[in-house]
Amino acid sequence: MSKQTVISAKHLKKSFGKEENVQTIYSDLNIDIYKGDFTVIMGSSGAGKSTLMYSLSGMDKPDGGQIDFDGTDITQLNSDKLAVFRRSQCGFVFQQIYLIDKMSLMDNVVTAGVLTSRNKEDIKNRARELFSLVNIPEMTWKKTPSQISGGEAQRAGIVRAVINHPNVLFADEPTGALNSANGTAVLDVFSSLHEKGQSIVMVTHDKKSALRGSRILYIKDGEIFGECKLGKFEPDHAERTEKFEQFITEMGW
Amino acid sequence: MNKTQTLILHNLNKAKGQYISFGFIICLTSLIMNIALVLAFQTFRAYDSRFSELDTADINCMIPQLQDDSEIIDKLEKIDGVLTVEKHGGVFVMATVREFADSDFDMNTVFYNLDEARTLNRLDLSEYEKKDKNTAYIPIYMKELGGFTEGENITYSIGDKDDTYEIGGIVSEMQYGNYGTGLIGGYLPAAAYEDFANKHSEHIITEYSLRTADNADLTKIKNAITEVLSDKGIAALNISDRAASKQTRTMVCTLLIIIFLALAAIILAVSIFLSSFRIRSTIEDELAQMGVLKAVGYTSKLIIRSAVWPYTLVGIVSTIIGAALSYLALPSVASILAIQSGFIYTPVFDGTALLIVILLPVSAIFLFAYLSARKIYRLEPIDAIRGKTGNGNAGQNILLAALSIGIMVLLSFAGTLLYNVSVKPDNFMDTLSEESPSVIFTTQKDKMSGLKGILQDDSRVKLALEYASTSVGYADGSLTAFVCEDFGKVTNDICYKGNSPTGEDEIAVGNTLADKYPIGSKIEIMVSDSSAFYVVTGYIQSVNHNGKVCQLTSKGYEKIGEKINTVNVYLHDEIAGEFIAEYEEYQDALIASSLNYEQLSENGRKMYAGIVSVVAVALFVISVLMVLLVLYVIINSMISRQRQEFGIYKAIGYTSRQLTIMTIKRFIPVVACSSVLAAIAGIWYLPAINRTIFAQIGAIKNHFEVSIWILLIIAIIFAAVAFFISVLLAAPIKKITAYSLLKD
Repeated sequence: MSKQTVISAKHLKKSFGKEENVQTIYSDLNIDIYKGDFTVIMGSSGAGKSTLMYSLSGMDKPDGGQIDFDGTDITQLNSDKLAVFRRSQCGFVFQQIYLIDKMSLMDNVVTAGVLTSRNKEDIKNRARELFSLVNIPEMTWKKTPSQISGGEAQRAGIVRAVINHPNVLFADEPTGALNSANGTAVLDVFSSLHEKGQSIVMVTHDKKSALRGSRILYIKDGEIFGECKLGKFEPDHAERTEKFEQFITEMGW
Repeated sequence: MNKTQTLILHNLNKAKGQYISFGFIICLTSLIMNIALVLAFQTFRAYDSRFSELDTADINCMIPQLQDDSEIIDKLEKIDGVLTVEKHGGVFVMATVREFADSDFDMNTVFYNLDEARTLNRLDLSEYEKKDKNTAYIPIYMKELGGFTEGENITYSIGDKDDTYEIGGIVSEMQYGNYGTGLIGGYLPAAAYEDFANKHSEHIITEYSLRTADNADLTKIKNAITEVLSDKGIAALNISDRAASKQTRTMVCTLLIIIFLALAAIILAVSIFLSSFRIRSTIEDELAQMGVLKAVGYTSKLIIRSAVWPYTLVGIVSTIIGAALSYLALPSVASILAIQSGFIYTPVFDGTALLIVILLPVSAIFLFAYLSARKIYRLEPIDAIRGKTGNGNAGQNILLAALSIGIMVLLSFAGTLLYNVSVKPDNFMDTLSEESPSVIFTTQKDKMSGLKGILQDDSRVKLALEYASTSVGYADGSLTAFVCEDFGKVTNDICYKGNSPTGEDEIAVGNTLADKYPIGSKIEIMVSDSSAFYVVTGYIQSVNHNGKVCQLTSKGYEKIGEKINTVNVYLHDEIAGEFIAEYEEYQDALIASSLNYEQLSENGRKMYAGIVSVVAVALFVISVLMVLLVLYVIINSMISRQRQEFGIYKAIGYTSRQLTIMTIKRFIPVVACSSVLAAIAGIWYLPAINRTIFAQIGAIKNHFEVSIWILLIIAIIFAAVAFFISVLLAAPIKKITAYSLLKD
């Protein structure tokens, strides 16, 4: 049975700079993202991983091409319509976390939740469930971002990202600013969400993070240079790990 | 609102200090604005209401009782527009009031019998009442400005006779209760009045008080009265009307309202600048967070709403608090005004004022906050997250320059006002009054040249000038004519456009006539049965006569009227009292009466100086408060934005003092340069501001001196105060450590 495409991007173009200083990131890139996949986008620095992810999520506009996101051509939407679109379709986890300072974790989550639900109690109930899922104890919910660890903050960031049941959860180097233990805890949350059927697109150059993906895409020279299907993540699965290592070696990592 | 409620509350909570300071400044704006509006809406209404309550006559006319006859009242009643005429008795004298504000003050005073039955010009007596042969009642003006209180003694010297009374109470009335009209009342119980009238029988007058129809032309009626009297060969001692009295008695109030409204507008502008600055600064500081909000699905409108609503909400709450607090200050302001107006009223709650005080600032805050926050529309979430920011510092300095200039305008205005009232009072008095000599002598017409010759030979005399104020008629009523032998010699040039007359066929007219009589046109002027046409050469101002004035040369006036018999004496030194005494003793054959105008001006100046000083000090205090608040917001914002940078500097060895100086150096030069520039520019803009404000009360030509040195001193003090406040406000830099950054 073929997988359902949730995002289909055709002939994407994107460049930065003007006139003589134009830097083309990609000029004719095609990519499909499938429902239920944990897609990892890898590539060297400056390859355009994040640029691609932000284009696919409607955060950034490509210079050309078409992005069909669950039946909507998001390249045709203006910024406000894109914002409304993102509310229910996308969740974002950033490397720098970006929780709102001086606002409790619960309020950070509710701030996103109120965009799709009028019932604050419903939002809070879901937030409580998600906080439990990501192992943030109740005593921490009222704390502000500066009062907790980076790992806790990033897990709270994930709760905020999924509070509105997004179609796709986008993550940009989610463990980039975390130590190893905190990074693993965050990756466990991603795996757990994937386990529950959440579609995820993650950009990373960290092998340990990438190994959590079910599908690895490697970007090079402005195109999808290679693809590797790993299937669901299983800890200590040597064969899976070996397949991944072989793939990235082939890609020139 | 539901979607942004959490963000709004978060924003309010996050920058409590900033919102409190913003709220405070808005509170101050609404407090001042509400005082001005309540005064504007209620003072004039209260005046009219008190006027009606006391059944005050629309016109009062005094003639010597000896010339009165029974026909006059019948003829006055027949004048078109006159409804009722009532006759009162009185004694009209030039009395020297002893110990008036610790000085002796010559005042035209009319004494009435307190117990005479009257339906018009009723008198409202204070609760403290003591009526016997030795008591007198005085107007509120005498109490407030003269410093007399119930139970004390008051002495009136009339000629060589002294009359001392115990003050039995205070009288509130609406015609002669303020010396701005040139006449003040005195009220004696029947027994005391009888004695007084017997003692000064040559000064007994008859007063005709007229009630007119609502739409009656008072000037026409006054002309008709003059005609009735002149038919019988009677010259009225005084004719006053309700419009002139009202304008005179509410002049300071009008001025105060204008100053308060201008002040509120400046503070509001500063607060709007502050809110705009805060919003722009927040956008710069929290760019990434706004990008994240956009990423999670907040539209630009929602984010803008969350930035604008806190200011709007604080604006609403603060304006209500400010308006409420103003009611605590209003009774005191009203009592200060009572010193000049001579009538007391208690301001009450005013719904219209409240509505304006809330709607106007809140709409302005909302609008400007929205305009500042509109930048969010252009904010792309990806750029925000990647930290592509603009340069906030240039905007901050432009804003600070604008604020410094705004505050300097306020300080320069206050400083100039204070300087011209306290240091150069003549400038202030010249703006509000007409000619201010030291002494005015009245002589017989044929003795004028003799008196002038003696005066001109007196080394103490700077100038002796034939000058008189008299009444003349024109097509639409009567005018007060200033008649002078040579307007080139007057000390107060009240001509604001064109020229004063020089020839016998020339005239300068008041601002009220300016539209109808362009310069170069002709106007017919009448005195009794004589009339002549004069060419308009210019326009003159008048605060005290509703602009219904004109200037004629002595020769020009003599074409239709009699030769004038008063001479203005300008002395080198302030010795008017002894000068008059000497001339009355040695030149009594030449002098019919004399007026110590120096003292009159001094008392007027004292009254205005008191009020203006209070206003000027209030302006200074408000300016310092504004500087404090503005710098608090700016420094606070700078410290929070550069916290990390300061931590790094400290880590590499910079001291708190160095960092404080480094911070202050980023904006104090802007404050200093802007204030000095504003001070220099004050030479041009202050005369315009003064002209605009004083023109509202009819003083179109402003005599204020704008001293560049005063302005520069103000600018230096302002910059120094800003520097010291900045050093104090930058104290939190001391608390920043490299270690605390790690914890952040």
